[in-house]
Amino acid sequence: MRSTVPGRPRPLADLLASNRLGRLNRVALGMIALTLILLPAADLSITVRDPWAELQRMTGGLLTPAFSQLSAPLEAIGLTVAFALWGVALGLLAGIPLTLLFHRSRLIRGLCAALRAVHELFWALLFLQVFGTSAITALAAIAVPFAGIFAKVFAEILNQLDPAPASALPRGTGRLSRFLYVEWPQARAQLLAYIRYRFECAMRSSLLLGFVGLPTLGFHLESAFRQGRYHEAGAELLIFYLLIAGLPWWGHRRLLWLLLPLSGWLLGPWPEIDPSLAWRFVSQDIWPPPLLAGDPAGLVQWWSRLPALGPAIGNTLLLALMGTAGTLLVALALWPLVCRHFNGPVRRWLGAGALIVLRSTPEFLFAFVLLLLTGPSMLPAWIALALHNGALIAFLVARQADELSPGLPGIRGLDLYCWELLPRIFPGLLALVCYRAEVIMRETAILGILGVATLGFQIDAAFAWLHFDTALLLLIITCLLNLAVDALSRRLRPERSLTAASCDSPGPPA
Amino acid sequence: MALVTLQETTLAHGRGRHRHVVLDSISLALQPGERVALLGRSGAGKSTLLEALRGELGNAAAWCPQGQGLVGALSVYHNVYMGRLERTSTWRNLRNLLRPEHHAWEAVAELCTLLGIGELLRRPVEQLSGGQRSRVAIARALYQARPHFLGDEPIASVDPHQGARLLRLITERHGMCLIALHQRELALTHFDRVIGIEQGRIALDEPTSDLTLEQLDALYRPWTPASPG
Amino acid sequence: MCRCLFALLLTLVSVHALADTFRFTAIPDENEDKLVARFDRVADYLSQQTGLDVEYVPVKSYPAAVSAFRNDQVQLAWFGGLTGVQARELVPDSEALAQGREDAGFRSYFIANTSTAIAADQQRLPAALEGHSFTFGARTSTSGRLMPEYYLRQRFEQSPGELFSRVGFSGDHTRTIALVESGAYDIGAVNYKVWQDEVQQHGVDTDKVHVIWKSPRYPDYQWTIRGDVDQHFGQGTKAAVRQALLDMSDPELLASFPRAGFIPVSNDDYAPIRRVGHQLELLR
Repeated sequence: MRSTVPGRPRPLADLLASNRLGRLNRVALGMIALTLILLPAADLSITVRDPWAELQRMTGGLLTPAFSQLSAPLEAIGLTVAFALWGVALGLLAGIPLTLLFHRSRLIRGLCAALRAVHELFWALLFLQVFGTSAITALAAIAVPFAGIFAKVFAEILNQLDPAPASALPRGTGRLSRFLYVEWPQARAQLLAYIRYRFECAMRSSLLLGFVGLPTLGFHLESAFRQGRYHEAGAELLIFYLLIAGLPWWGHRRLLWLLLPLSGWLLGPWPEIDPSLAWRFVSQDIWPPPLLAGDPAGLVQWWSRLPALGPAIGNTLLLALMGTAGTLLVALALWPLVCRHFNGPVRRWLGAGALIVLRSTPEFLFAFVLLLLTGPSMLPAWIALALHNGALIAFLVARQADELSPGLPGIRGLDLYCWELLPRIFPGLLALVCYRAEVIMRETAILGILGVATLGFQIDAAFAWLHFDTALLLLIITCLLNLAVDALSRRLRPERSLTAASCDSPGPPA
Repeated sequence: MALVTLQETTLAHGRGRHRHVVLDSISLALQPGERVALLGRSGAGKSTLLEALRGELGNAAAWCPQGQGLVGALSVYHNVYMGRLERTSTWRNLRNLLRPEHHAWEAVAELCTLLGIGELLRRPVEQLSGGQRSRVAIARALYQARPHFLGDEPIASVDPHQGARLLRLITERHGMCLIALHQRELALTHFDRVIGIEQGRIALDEPTSDLTLEQLDALYRPWTPASPG
Repeated sequence: MCRCLFALLLTLVSVHALADTFRFTAIPDENEDKLVARFDRVADYLSQQTGLDVEYVPVKSYPAAVSAFRNDQVQLAWFGGLTGVQARELVPDSEALAQGREDAGFRSYFIANTSTAIAADQQRLPAALEGHSFTFGARTSTSGRLMPEYYLRQRFEQSPGELFSRVGFSGDHTRTIALVESGAYDIGAVNYKVWQDEVQQHGVDTDKVHVIWKSPRYPDYQWTIRGDVDQHFGQGTKAAVRQALLDMSDPELLASFPRAGFIPVSNDDYAPIRRVGHQLELLR
């Protein structure tokens, strides 16, 4: 706290006042202020009596993982990797054409936003109705939203390239030729880094798919955790952490040519598809029954039976806002943990471990632990979202900070943080947080255990009752909400300061 | 019959509040077979004029942009090949990216040898010197094999001797050539006509036979910018 | 890549072939430990008894089980009371074959954290639970959701949302117990068998959480089979499967469910569940 001694310059205040960063800071402070203003509307009560017995059982189990109790660890690990790898590959296959059309058509941009807006779990629940618990469901559930994400981020990366080579091309050059000759060679490093980062995200998605019944590590983890077999859950979590930590080695580009076919082999056997199922799903299941029967009175009744939309939308937006602001604060606090400017190799290694745990642990698990500590309210959801996403961004931002070299010699600690590094990485950090707002909104969906009735909570309920018409309506509302948030975050986000990629590019840990 | 004509045309950037007029109400006609040098201080509006004429001429003119616009990560061969990217199918372009096509390779190699960069065909452009890059950009424009040529300072980073040789190569192969440059001597020796731009208008448009070096120098004299508004 | 594309192509063009493997799914209400291994043994047993090629399909949740049953991805399923009704409404001609001995008179227990000082009352649901926080189990659970909600509405003539300060869905009976024991939720509703087993195995501290009310009995878990199995797998398939289930006596196999044995049952036995489901507008 040396820098706050009276008489000394106050770097943070100066940072806030400086012109270049003024707008960014207004965005950040505005977001935090709005969160504070709305906080009374959020249900944040703490009602807990004696969480210690359960927490003790849990920590005991997690700290003494029982690998012998795993049912089929090798197959589950293999499938977790296979779904992630092939999901990303297929997502790229669909995402690159969408990238090329992204800036040409509003329709394509809308489509991509819609694909992104739906959580992987909900995509999986949709595909499950037609493809059952097969690899097709898993791959589609990852590839479909990822295609939308790739399209958006890639289009932004390409948009920020030097336009000179493209404009030098002869008139009438095909879009794909332009991509191959001009854009890909220029943006290669950025795109590859982003794909690598997305692969880690896909591993998390793949784990999550286990929660709806696909045979990944998540399948076993969810059962073990839900039923209180914490020793087994500990073993499964540990395996997953190691997978993520080892990603730069086993997921190296050179090994991909081996991994892809090998893991592809695991995906089979492919199910027999009944086209009539798909037809029934799109022609009947997703439409309100009174609409199909041509019964207007019934339609009114159908509408009145829908879950309360107002509170669901309100809760979703409020939780997303709180989650985003919390993410910003957590990221600001955590990134020095893994930054080379603040730590020696040992401490950095420990910090990296801590961040891997925070960002790889499924939110529902955080939520469960926090639920024990605080009781049911928005509070555990808020903390879970902020910790998970904050750790993710902290990691990316630290990579960016590692590449900077401080100009002032001998500057250390808080001074280094405030004067040298923060001003330079702040635009990037804020850009990432704005990107993440969209993801956070999706993630509010899977915290139903907390009894916070977000849109996702209601969608989950609709799926549980096989009311696909309700689910679809709620999903469409989610998409529209997402489009609005996307438009807003694009307006607020620092322009041109940084693309997703230049920061979303965790290289291998140094 | 003029090849291309601008009649009282105003060229501007941006729209609405951000509209910034670069060249105000200019008139100009370019004849087939003419070799025209375009002179003027940096920022006078040469590039804007060239861009506008490129829009008029379309693919009838080869195009050599300012700052070359090369793709650093690709080889010299691929950068030159890009001159004809629109004439081959995407599939063929993709194949050629992975494995150069024999015919195209021969043609590019011949052109590059002529320009003195025949040895560098496989070298990524980012490893080349400024002068070498200029030649790659010129090679790419020549490879387009168009009737006419529009060049925005294509010889800015080569020495005068080389510049003269490159200009000869360019003018030999094209009908009408409009080339922006700063080397006034070369403008007088290698062109039929000079267009000079100053303060947002065409200050000079004469056959070279009527011009002296001093008249051209005048285009580059310092001037105080008019107050905006 | 090629293999994947080929497979995708194949799946798009292939017409649904008659499944020659008889598939079933089951989700036990507790202890999913080594689920696949244990149910593979059940599959072996059914194969032996019926001569069919039987395979176990692991499914995570009851909605997924119902979907799989509806889509003919499984032909036989071990459902909860409500999910069974749901499945039979979606698949005409499907039939409840057998239920566990315990399932004819199943019940829910309402449990409360002792610090709420709600006294147990066997006569009727204690009025004192009003205003506390409450958790159900899974959304479509009969014993953790449907019947508790039914009895709550019957007693208080209010929806749970109006009655309690907060209503959550723990997702699982074991978790309901853990959450109420820790005081995260004041009150919860659980499957009585899970409660009894947890108490027996000392998985729960009865000083911290206790039963405040035991519901009346109602029918719950049952095996349900699709109506078209005789057509697909040969005449007498349904009868053979039912017999195999009723004959199951190996304690090791029965422990997977966990039930003492299976007894015959019919669709009509679940009429009360069906009525309540519609009454609560959970079924359409």
